[in-house]
Amino acid sequence: MTAVIESCKLGKRYHSMWALSDCTLSIPSGHVVGLVGPNGAGKSTLLNIATGLLAPTTGTIEVLGTPPAARPAELSRVGFVAQDAPVYTALTVAEHLRVGARLNPRWDARLAHARIERLGLNLKQKAGTLSGGQRAQLALTLAIGKRPELLILDEPVARLDPLARREFLGELMEAVAEQDLSVLMSSHLVSDLERVCDYLIVLVVSRVCVAGPVEELLATHHLLSGPRRDPDQMPPGLRVISASHTGRQSTLLVRTSGQILDPAWTVSQVTLEDLALAYMKQAAIRQLEVQR
Amino acid sequence: MMWLTWRQFRLQAIVATAALAAFAIALAVTGPQLASLYRADGMTTCGDSGCAALAGDFLSDAGSYQIMYGLCTVGILLAPALIGLFWGAPLITREFETGTFRLAWTQTITRTRWLASKLVLPGLAAMAVAAGLSLLFGWWAAPIGQAARLTHGSFPLGMGPFSLPDFDAHGIAPLGYAAFAFTLGVTAGMLIRRTIPAMAVTLAIFAAIQVAMPLAVRPHLFPPARTTVAIGSFAGAEHVGNGHFSFNVMDLPSQPGAWIISSQAVNAAGQSVSSSAACEGRGQNGNQCLARQGVQIAVTYEPTSRFWPMQLAETGIYLALAMVLAGYCLRRLSLRRY
Repeated sequence: MTAVIESCKLGKRYHSMWALSDCTLSIPSGHVVGLVGPNGAGKSTLLNIATGLLAPTTGTIEVLGTPPAARPAELSRVGFVAQDAPVYTALTVAEHLRVGARLNPRWDARLAHARIERLGLNLKQKAGTLSGGQRAQLALTLAIGKRPELLILDEPVARLDPLARREFLGELMEAVAEQDLSVLMSSHLVSDLERVCDYLIVLVVSRVCVAGPVEELLATHHLLSGPRRDPDQMPPGLRVISASHTGRQSTLLVRTSGQILDPAWTVSQVTLEDLALAYMKQAAIRQLEVQR
Repeated sequence: MMWLTWRQFRLQAIVATAALAAFAIALAVTGPQLASLYRADGMTTCGDSGCAALAGDFLSDAGSYQIMYGLCTVGILLAPALIGLFWGAPLITREFETGTFRLAWTQTITRTRWLASKLVLPGLAAMAVAAGLSLLFGWWAAPIGQAARLTHGSFPLGMGPFSLPDFDAHGIAPLGYAAFAFTLGVTAGMLIRRTIPAMAVTLAIFAAIQVAMPLAVRPHLFPPARTTVAIGSFAGAEHVGNGHFSFNVMDLPSQPGAWIISSQAVNAAGQSVSSSAACEGRGQNGNQCLARQGVQIAVTYEPTSRFWPMQLAETGIYLALAMVLAGYCLRRLSLRRY
């Protein structure tokens, strides 16, 4: 499994504020990777560094085996839909396709036009008058039309209504199925990504809390409920990610590669959202402890 | 990339073309009328001596054209500033403000090429517009300029090719101003990243430079010519009592239109003098007294033949500044990431 993005101790400072610090991660190729984390985790900064828009203050990053996007050869291999899907408001949809064709030697005009037609976008309409969903779709078409090997999307659905969200992700999945494409998309909501991602990375304050294929994560995490018990007294090989207690009862989210054999526990299937939230909560608690 | 640059610049290009066309039509309609008035007043056939008297008549006949002359001058002086404000400053800030730089810079094109193409097309257009305005105006205004030179100041504008608003509105200098103002706007936009503050900074710096240039730089571009003028032929003397006097030479009869850089009274030995006890209290006869003592006026000036060399030099300076700013922007963009 090769990595599409590999970063080592990556950091970005704005004046005296570190937007990202000491971020080491590896994003495997051939996946639709969801990068999840609370606001301020450094997701956008990381993605902007990966696309070459920002230069890191410290550390190194390689995208598709080279430093990100300085030369056209590298720029052509990565497609990017930035946060809020910026487009030229004064240009029409057709003119955007023309921009894509003029600025990208590998531009796939047939693919782009077919997508626009399928979406029912009016070629003559100014991009500034498109709805949020249509705008995002146009930005996605531009990013896909350049035939990238890696597609990076920064909070692509954050501002879309539920229907537009569903349509956008559907289109994205179709593109992934048609082309040999690795995808990295960020969101602060797991529920956005649950349907489409097969690999999850949870990022909290620049740190990777958990990363892995979704199936594997779901198979190794369990939600246990049973009589109240001290989470520190669990058997070896079983890591408690989060614990909540009521008077007599404990609910634990645990990670283990083995089976849960203790009959005292009721084991239930964990959702990806519960899992990600548990890791974020754990990281937040740890951070508080560090600050003390 | 040229296509995108053109597409983004299209509206401004249309506005500029319309403005230039309106200007050209106005001058093309009135220019021949002005020229025929010039002929009708006998200015083309007056020879060497009689023109000065006719020039005053011509200028009063051409009263409404004088207003137009003033308006055109103001327009040509403002055009580079407007180009800097409305073409230069928003060129990049608009991309920052709408986030479209993230779209542009992730296409298969380096940001150096992106900026170079954004600089070239509007930059050349800016120079073309400014040069078009000033050359058209120069053609149109030639009769007024010639007449005004002969009347020595009855018409405040057109006092000579070097007079303050005229040098800046004629020839090719406006082309240099426009190129400089445009790149100044782009640079301000790149550093400040917000349109309105970038426009304000552009205007402030450009205005300051346009004031500093004629006052501090232009007089030193070429070493001035020197001559002396006999006091007897000079009327503008001021005798302030105690034998003190001063002369302020406005123009040289032998060099109509020349730019007087400095003038001062000197004695027979060539030393500067400003008082003479011997000539104290002579009133109107002070000049003759000073002349008898050998006092003359030493004048340094730029002859009118220096007009085009000075235009070229000044245009060159502004173009060089524009190139430096453009180079700085390109370099900064290629080295720094946003």
